Amino acid sequence: MATRPGRLIATIGLTLALAACGGSPTASNGTSGGGEASSKYDQYEALKGQERRDKLMADAKAEGEISLYTSMTSDVAEAVTKAFTDQTGVKVNLYRAASETVLQRVLQESSARHAGADVVETDALEMAALGKEKLIAPYTGERRDLVGKEGQFDNWTASRYNLFSPSWNTTKVPAGTQPTSWEALADPKFDGQLAMELNDYDWYLTLYGYWQQHGKSTAEIDKLFGDMANGAKVVKGHTVMGELLSAGQYSVAASNYTYLVQRAQDKGAPVAYRPLVQPVIARPQGAALMKSAAHPAAALLFEDWLLTEGQKVFVDLGLTPSIEPQGLKDPLEGLEVISVDVNKLLNEQKKWSDQYNALLEKSDKLG
Amino acid sequence: MTLAPTRPSAPMPPVESGPSEPPLWRRILPTPKFLTLGVVTLIIAYLAIVPLYYLFWGTFFDASGFTLDGFKRAYGNDQIFDLVGNSLWFAVGAAALSLVLGTGLAYLQVRTDVPFKALFFAASIIPLVIPGILYTIAWILLGSPDIGLLNHYLEPIFGRAVLDVFSIWGMIWVEGLQLSPIVFLLMVASFRAMDPSLEESALMSGASRWTVFRKVTIPLARPAIVAAILIMVVRSLESFEVPALLGLQNGIYVFTSRIYFVLRDYPPDLSAAGALAVGLLVLAIIGVIISNYAGRASKNYQTVTGKGFRPRPMELGRWRPVAGLLIVGYFLLTVVAPLLVLLYTSLLKFYAPPSKNTFSTMTLDNYRQLAHTSSALTALKNSLILGVASATLVMAVMAVAAWIVVRSQIRGRKVLDALAFLPLVVPGLVMGLALSFVYLRSPIPIYGTLFILLISYCTRYLPYGMRYAVTSMQQISNELEESALVNGASWWQTFRRVLLPLLMPGVVAGWIYILVVSFRELSSSILLYSPGNEVLSILIFEQFENGQFTVLSALGVVMVLTLVLLVTIAYKLGARVGLKQD
Repeated sequence: MATRPGRLIATIGLTLALAACGGSPTASNGTSGGGEASSKYDQYEALKGQERRDKLMADAKAEGEISLYTSMTSDVAEAVTKAFTDQTGVKVNLYRAASETVLQRVLQESSARHAGADVVETDALEMAALGKEKLIAPYTGERRDLVGKEGQFDNWTASRYNLFSPSWNTTKVPAGTQPTSWEALADPKFDGQLAMELNDYDWYLTLYGYWQQHGKSTAEIDKLFGDMANGAKVVKGHTVMGELLSAGQYSVAASNYTYLVQRAQDKGAPVAYRPLVQPVIARPQGAALMKSAAHPAAALLFEDWLLTEGQKVFVDLGLTPSIEPQGLKDPLEGLEVISVDVNKLLNEQKKWSDQYNALLEKSDKLG
Repeated sequence: MTLAPTRPSAPMPPVESGPSEPPLWRRILPTPKFLTLGVVTLIIAYLAIVPLYYLFWGTFFDASGFTLDGFKRAYGNDQIFDLVGNSLWFAVGAAALSLVLGTGLAYLQVRTDVPFKALFFAASIIPLVIPGILYTIAWILLGSPDIGLLNHYLEPIFGRAVLDVFSIWGMIWVEGLQLSPIVFLLMVASFRAMDPSLEESALMSGASRWTVFRKVTIPLARPAIVAAILIMVVRSLESFEVPALLGLQNGIYVFTSRIYFVLRDYPPDLSAAGALAVGLLVLAIIGVIISNYAGRASKNYQTVTGKGFRPRPMELGRWRPVAGLLIVGYFLLTVVAPLLVLLYTSLLKFYAPPSKNTFSTMTLDNYRQLAHTSSALTALKNSLILGVASATLVMAVMAVAAWIVVRSQIRGRKVLDALAFLPLVVPGLVMGLALSFVYLRSPIPIYGTLFILLISYCTRYLPYGMRYAVTSMQQISNELEESALVNGASWWQTFRRVLLPLLMPGVVAGWIYILVVSFRELSSSILLYSPGNEVLSILIFEQFENGQFTVLSALGVVMVLTLVLLVTIAYKLGARVGLKQD
């Protein structure tokens, strides 16, 4: 055997050749769906009110199930899917992952024309990317009109908001000494005591833009962020950020989600985020119908439901809905709330992400 | 594939199986031996090439053809030298620490009469079983300069903040501890298969114990040590959990943070990620070449020969209590302390440093909540199926592959060795993308089932399986196989009756390792799973994202218990079929 040309190499070569037959793995194969696909929603879009709901219920039941891809945390996802199934009888197949993974999965599946998701619910950047890839169908229900203008995007609609605001450890930061403005985070008294998150460039670009609009020069803004980053502790993930804040590893977290802090507070942890620092920065989380949906009626029913009954589920879990349910007081009333600039996020993503990384990498000032 | 040059065969006695030149018809009709070897080669080549092909294509080609832009984006950054420097420093440190710990523990365990042997098992497995995020956070709670419990208790003696886990040393410490079980398992297998008469003769001739260890024992274990270093360095170069949790805080960025950043973007910059992975690949291939070179004169390491031997534990004499004390100390520090922190946290509503108040408000709520998580049982079941199946498949295939690589004279066998090693450098997410790309287009409905996860796990753990099997194979002398063949046994009979039992310590060690780490695989699982196919690591990730750190600790405790039970069973079974045991 040793004298003949390596069989092993021949075998490996054959495998390589077979693999190569698959063609270019990363070249775009075009998007699935196509123009006519969105028409599967047309027959319902003209309907309104109860008539629409009844027709959707009947057709969705016939379809029997719905596939939802989302980056809701699992407790939220479980509550939402359970409530939906209880009320409509339609089973939800749930795929849950971080927002960028959800996007990658949808892109992979659509490039192979695999109809995986019926509805996608995830972060603004990824929703906007799905819109740009022309994978999602227009949604024009009455419920969408109830969502504020700042929550209506091309083909996707905000279903809830994550709010960024500073939070602090109440044992380390006595009442009255907590930060009362974003600028206060740059105060040297927080050196070594402030945590910033590795991925929050959406927060960064929004605050940056806000300060620009309010007359600060670029140099001033860079100095403010530079002073924040100077001595800051960089953490990855909002969960870790919250956990270590409550454990006392640092006193102030710059950009955590308020609902995470609220939950820790509800359990008795020594953390707080109220009074909220203004402007509160809201990042939309949105939902959209897939053009390639295998269960269009169920998909449309789910989106309608999410913007109606689903809003109540969000409120019960301490999240911020995109349509305040009737009879409830808006907890953000009277506060200045600004929304993350989604277009800027999508189109200048790399620039801001790089700039934010550079800012954090310079934070290496602690011994 | 011109990556690993095919070397002219090393001078080895001709051990080709069967009659020297079979007639032509025998050569055309596949023999069982040829079939087995062929199938194994095909499996390895297929598993390894699919993700690599995807990686290479994504790296070097874009819509307009061949390009090196990815490299420019990946490395064209003034910080890249810092990153590579940090990474190498971290990887070499962690590899060195785990090598010393793993080898030391394995030696004491197998070859000496050290007390508390029962503790070894736990000390060697538990750091591997605890999910990386949890183990690292447990160390933050222990060794942070601000809130670390160890610092708190050491303060009266050494002053403030004597330990700082948020430093390159802290990173090396935590990563080294997490990696040491791989070394331990490899070295235990190697020491078990080592004839102590060589050491005894050295002792008789007047050498001191330390000299014997240095001049006889360690050189004999060289294949295993080289394999361990290779895996360790590549593993730590790739690791992101520990650098992310411990390094970032003080601005220590590593090579893999670049991979993380470029994959985070939309559209994910596969080309730059690939370029970074190719960097790792080059390092890994150099490593494989060195390790082949180091293991070349294989006959020197063949300690399992036709002569019967029984490893007799070496008497430590007056050093016995010292060794015992060291073991207990090590066990307390690396196993008991982090586990206690987890257990403590799992009983709280939110983490707070221990005080009268926290102890009085302890509750089992987190465990209750875990029991009510609907997918917990499904996830446990799926993880078990996947862990056992991938460990068994990989080790079965690798036992044969090791024969090809170490024993056969087949040309290109080194290529097989290199191929089996390469999946180690493919980032988990890229692996997930590659597999979903292939199986979304495959006519066989594998996408969306548990099988795609199985394929992913088998691919990811090929390299470990190969190292475990090859290392063991290098210690088995040719003469045993030759005598079987001379006595008329077929190749298959020889393999099954002679080689496999002798290989068993290594195979069992590899099996245990794969089983345990498969419970932690997240980066490709999260992209490939589908509803109903959740695995335990996804559940951990979800609890983590929910901010339920206390529930997560409870889950960690449950996982440790489950896996320790499983591994105990495996050890008992393995010991029965294995060569020899203590």
